[in-house]
Amino acid sequence: MRKRFLALGATLVLSPCLLAQKIGVINTMTGPEAPIGENITNGIKLAEEDLLKKGIHVQLVWEDDTGKPQISMSAMEKLATRDNVVGVVGPYTSACSNAVSKLAEKYRVPLLIPAAAKEEITRQGLKNVFRMNAPADKYASSLIDAATSLGKPKSIAFIYENTDFGTSTTKTAKEYVTKKGFQVVADVAYPKGSADYRSTLAQIKSKNPDLVFMVSYVADAILLMRQSREVGLQPQAFLGAGAGFTTAEFAKERAISENVISCTQWTEDVNWPGAKEFGKRYKTRFGKEPSYHAACAYASMIIMAETAKASGGDRTKTRDGLKAGKWNGIMGEVQFADYDGFNNQNNHQMLVQQIISGNYETILPSRFATKKAVYPFPKWK
Amino acid sequence: MAVFMQSLLSGILIGGVYALIGIGLTLIFGVMRVINFAHGDILMVGMYLTYLAFTLLGIDPFVSVLITFPLMFLFGGFLQKVFINRVLNAVAQNQILLTIGLGLIMSNTVMLIFTSDYKILTTSYSSSTIKVGGGVAVSTPLLISFLITSAITAALYWFLLKTDTGQAIRATAQDRDAAQLMGINVKRMSIIAFGLGAALAGTAGALISPTYYIFPQVGAVFTLKAFVITVLGGMGSVVGATLGGVLIGITESLSAVYISSGWKDVVVFVLFLLVLLFKPSGLMGKSA
Repeated sequence: MRKRFLALGATLVLSPCLLAQKIGVINTMTGPEAPIGENITNGIKLAEEDLLKKGIHVQLVWEDDTGKPQISMSAMEKLATRDNVVGVVGPYTSACSNAVSKLAEKYRVPLLIPAAAKEEITRQGLKNVFRMNAPADKYASSLIDAATSLGKPKSIAFIYENTDFGTSTTKTAKEYVTKKGFQVVADVAYPKGSADYRSTLAQIKSKNPDLVFMVSYVADAILLMRQSREVGLQPQAFLGAGAGFTTAEFAKERAISENVISCTQWTEDVNWPGAKEFGKRYKTRFGKEPSYHAACAYASMIIMAETAKASGGDRTKTRDGLKAGKWNGIMGEVQFADYDGFNNQNNHQMLVQQIISGNYETILPSRFATKKAVYPFPKWK
Repeated sequence: MAVFMQSLLSGILIGGVYALIGIGLTLIFGVMRVINFAHGDILMVGMYLTYLAFTLLGIDPFVSVLITFPLMFLFGGFLQKVFINRVLNAVAQNQILLTIGLGLIMSNTVMLIFTSDYKILTTSYSSSTIKVGGGVAVSTPLLISFLITSAITAALYWFLLKTDTGQAIRATAQDRDAAQLMGINVKRMSIIAFGLGAALAGTAGALISPTYYIFPQVGAVFTLKAFVITVLGGMGSVVGATLGGVLIGITESLSAVYISSGWKDVVVFVLFLLVLLFKPSGLMGKSA
């Protein structure tokens, strides 16, 4: 209800500038994934300000999907039919994005997904669905390539949450390691929010893997690492694929997060135009470190709004504009291309980072590196 | 073998906390025949009390039980006096709606105050362990919480079996009307029972917080678990709830290792159905 009123208020305030581009945002603002959703919200807010500076008025219609696909879908229906938005930026999670992508196609609303990892989303041949971030296969390959370039790991254990994000990332990772001749010694999917992973981790420990590959959101990432330390799981490297392993909260838990290797879509110390300034501005404005989601959301909103403006608020023209365009900004070069079975997918360069002295330091690719990698993982204290 | 021992041990330790949650629910049901759907949310309130005590006052989560227990007792007593007492004689659906409503109010109020961010308590011993030997390690916070749980459960047994008030509560649970005829103030017993139930749930929340994470919707997970435990053990049976809690803890832990983490809930529910199939009144329940 409150959101309705806010939207109404915003309409009244903005009604003088009728030329405002109406763009929908679906995001996870409440519920368990909300802490990451907050980054997306903040990124979009900064984009809104910058757009205004460029003379592009946007009228955003915010929808909260609470991380549930069914709510995300009804939000999309509402945005497409009732609010008549030009395009939509969001949703956050893979499960929601996957569900919403089909609706975007049905209503022919250009959908720009900022940070969902599941590969299939842009592999369905949908014309109206675009994605900013690199999909799950890149998470896996960049992490495993990093490990093989740092040492000589032979075996790997997988532990991941049994959601779209977890299973899809792990599936491609498994294919990749099999090709590279690794031995997969454990493959465990866990239900999100379990209090106790000790037994599972003890079992993995008994297989003595060289690499432990984990896919989780924030809270589980911390619990998994805590309990790994408890049971004394000691691989050559802990590889954390995305989400939970790349947040400031995780890095803050120094006793267990130090030296964990993860990959990310973005850090503020890469030399992509505006990345540093964005990081600084975000910190002064919101008092927190931005995660890559914030940058993805920022760039997505800028691109969506600019394209919508250029096509005069027409959905089909906006879609064609997104398909034809090329941008360079805080996410590096962006182009929605068709390759390897993907459609409208930005072929984004992933960065591999490691937590060193409590900070995320980029370790690979070497042209972006800020610190030398620590390998193998030091003995637990 | 080490893996088996490790998972058995963590199962028993986690099960102890589950038992505490189950006992609270079963106590409330036994005395009032009200199914408390807000049980998980009460536990969540206990978690946030612990969180506040830890962050604002610097009180260790385990020490904070001394504050959480009485506060949650008062909170439970208040809920009983103001809300639950009014629907004691109403149809079951109304009682269920009331407790669900109370739970929703609790979780949403907490969300307004604290936002839905995860809170994680980091104590000096959060990920420390005690080596038992044979490659088996026990999580220190889990062990402490198990010891506290055992102490509280023992004290509760003593209270229910030996004290006058405890016997009056049990009498009320056995037959409300007869108890009233014998001169027992059943309204008062109800308040005490609900207070105790809430205090136990809140304490369980406090005990889990050092090893788990805290967020406003955390209650749902535990409400469901509490039900399975209570029904498994036999509605209203304190011994049954203790047994049920430990059993569920062990089942979860072992099935995560020997079947699959993703299937552990399925195993728990299959076990639950089997027990109900062969002993419909639960493990320690008296057949109606």
